[in-house]
Amino acid sequence: MTAYGFEWAAIARGLPYLLEGAGLTVMISSVAMVLALVLGLALAAISQAPGPVARRLVAAYVEVFRNTPLLIQIFIVYFGLPQLGVKLSPFLSGLAALVLYAAAYNTEIFRAGLEAVPHGQFEAARSAGLGELQILRYVILPQAVRICFPALGNNLVSLVKNSSLVSTIGMVELMFVANDISFNNFRTFEIYGTAAVMYVVIVLALTRLLRAAEGRLLRAPA
Amino acid sequence: MSPIRRSILVALATALIATVAAPAGAQSTLETVKKRGKLIAGVKTDFPPFGTVDAAGKNVGFDVDVAHRFAKALFNDDNQVELVAVTSGNRIPFLQSSKIDIIIATVTITDERRQVVEFSEPYFMSGSLILVPKASAVKSLDELGGKTVAVIQGAIQDKDVEQLQPKASRVKFGKVSEAVLALKGGRADAYVHDDIVILSLAKENADLKAVGKTFVPRPYGIAVRKGDTEFINWVNAELKKMHTDGTYDRLWKKYFADVEQFLIKP
Repeated sequence: MTAYGFEWAAIARGLPYLLEGAGLTVMISSVAMVLALVLGLALAAISQAPGPVARRLVAAYVEVFRNTPLLIQIFIVYFGLPQLGVKLSPFLSGLAALVLYAAAYNTEIFRAGLEAVPHGQFEAARSAGLGELQILRYVILPQAVRICFPALGNNLVSLVKNSSLVSTIGMVELMFVANDISFNNFRTFEIYGTAAVMYVVIVLALTRLLRAAEGRLLRAPA
Repeated sequence: MSPIRRSILVALATALIATVAAPAGAQSTLETVKKRGKLIAGVKTDFPPFGTVDAAGKNVGFDVDVAHRFAKALFNDDNQVELVAVTSGNRIPFLQSSKIDIIIATVTITDERRQVVEFSEPYFMSGSLILVPKASAVKSLDELGGKTVAVIQGAIQDKDVEQLQPKASRVKFGKVSEAVLALKGGRADAYVHDDIVILSLAKENADLKAVGKTFVPRPYGIAVRKGDTEFINWVNAELKKMHTDGTYDRLWKKYFADVEQFLIKP
């Protein structure tokens, strides 16, 4: 039996480069997260507008971006759009695709949250003399966000892992670096294993943050 | 922890270790292949004229023909071969993890790779060339300083460009097709790869051209798992037969006739 010779030295040699990649993963994921939350919330709010037009437009967006693979979206933005004269930098291409993809899910999550708030709440708030925006801000959103929180958390975790797909367009993030190192030293188990551990650490940090935010939200008076 | 639970855990762990440490090269590959009744070869699908896919979805190319020839030698039937698509990055991991028996996929022989695989005698000599858009003024590696140069992740040119033109910024892709798209979309100013693939791409794409003088010529080898001398000896014997019975010359003419003047015949 040929036992596998695990090589710690390979990890040690690759560590600085892997950490550099992890830095970009954290960066692009965090920016994408914030933008995807804002976009998702805005679109969910728009879809609540009276009349069918806004709702249908938002639904069309959601269906397009939720029903196509993220990799195709990344390739369309990075390789396809330049042929139409729209050339975003590699970073912006990857970011745009990640945001549009994650925001489609966020829209649905927020919409479900908004629609889960009983209609009587609107009527009660309205009869208390609150304006539409005030109702949204002080009555509906605080309740909706609590309902949405677990599902949003899941989607943000997916976003961090999905960011590995931008390695295909030459972005030097964690997955790209892991490929770069293991394609040259062939210590696939050590290098991808280390990258996997780094993803776990990033996601654990994110879930901690989310839990802290959730605790604060639940404690705060609505 | 109860003793029963502990023994279950130990059993599970042992099974896991046994699976992980399962011998990759303990049994002779040649024997395994014969018992299986077919050869599993890693070939490229985006590397003309060595390995591509034709309009009908069939694998074609120099390396593909070599794979069929090996199948014929083993089973007297050139269809007893399963072709697995590999890239410069994943071909050696595929071999190491026994997903394929043999790599016939334009592997440049280097000292680093010799540490992890067994190479055959060289079967092709390849240097590197530069592919640029037709309108580009670039004529050599020297002029690529400050420019964006596409290379393939895991291909030898990644290091070559880093050493020979450190002022260029490299953008790395997984596949040849992606590097070509990047070049056409203005994502890169040039794409550096093996001379033969650059010449073929320049021939197939009217908006691109090959420039530069071939640099750092190195041999291609067929690769099998490290330590498998029996199999590599068999491969070498077959390659020799291909030279003596005229197969090699026939394949050379079939695939390289029109770019022959740029190539180094081994």
